[in-house]
Amino acid sequence: MPRKRQSREDDLDINITPMLDIVFIMLIFFIVTTSFVKEPGIDPRRAMAETAEPKPHGNILIGVSPDGHIWMNNRRVEITDIRQMVEEAVNENPESSAVVVSDQESPTGIVIDIMDQIRAGGVINISIAAEPDST
Amino acid sequence: MRKRHHQADDAEINITPMLDIVFIMLIFFIVTTSFVKETGIDMTRPSNQPPKTEKISEVIFVKIDPSGQIFIKERPTDVRAVRANIESGLALKPDASVVVAASRDADAGLLVRVVDQARVAGAERVSVVALVE
Repeated sequence: MPRKRQSREDDLDINITPMLDIVFIMLIFFIVTTSFVKEPGIDPRRAMAETAEPKPHGNILIGVSPDGHIWMNNRRVEITDIRQMVEEAVNENPESSAVVVSDQESPTGIVIDIMDQIRAGGVINISIAAEPDST
Repeated sequence: MRKRHHQADDAEINITPMLDIVFIMLIFFIVTTSFVKETGIDMTRPSNQPPKTEKISEVIFVKIDPSGQIFIKERPTDVRAVRANIESGLALKPDASVVVAASRDADAGLLVRVVDQARVAGAERVSVVALVE
């Protein structure tokens, strides 16, 4: 009699192996897809563009306000700081690509200077944020 | 016989601490993951290196002056006509690349629209330069 009860208790153990499989797969998925995005800290009015396409790998976001102030990592930076910050981002993730989130009314000169600084920091893939325009 | 069985039970690895760590890592990565939803258009800047000795292909030159007026071949053009102008230019010179020279004071939104229209018109290489006044 006691022997039988013991056996039934053994059967009642939950088999956690499939759950572990799923947990490990989720863990690996999130490790692989995580990229630490550097949010600019402002949300400008983006330009409309018909050929805008998603930039899923853009993890360096640099914002430009309408009056030409540059925002990166949730704080205002100077144009001379961008190169070093981009270099740090490349050290963390060599496949970084950059998106300049500029306002419609930002001066073009600032945007082009920022693109030059990003390139000097070692990132080749640079794009300018635009909203898809279906019309 | 019985004793050996008991020993085999003891030899099992206790995976509970590993599971704790795995779950904590899982929660950390779930919380910190943010998927970038930014959309944009690619921009190319001409490199600083002097051009190599290769044939200079033809160029369709689009100028944006400080007030936002667009010039194609020195002729004032509306932004909605940029696409048609570049299409006709590409029909004459299929290998031409488009160079958008924007004044430093022009709006960035206009630059994006011009580059966008050039890409809609079928230009494969669109570069952006700053206009030196």
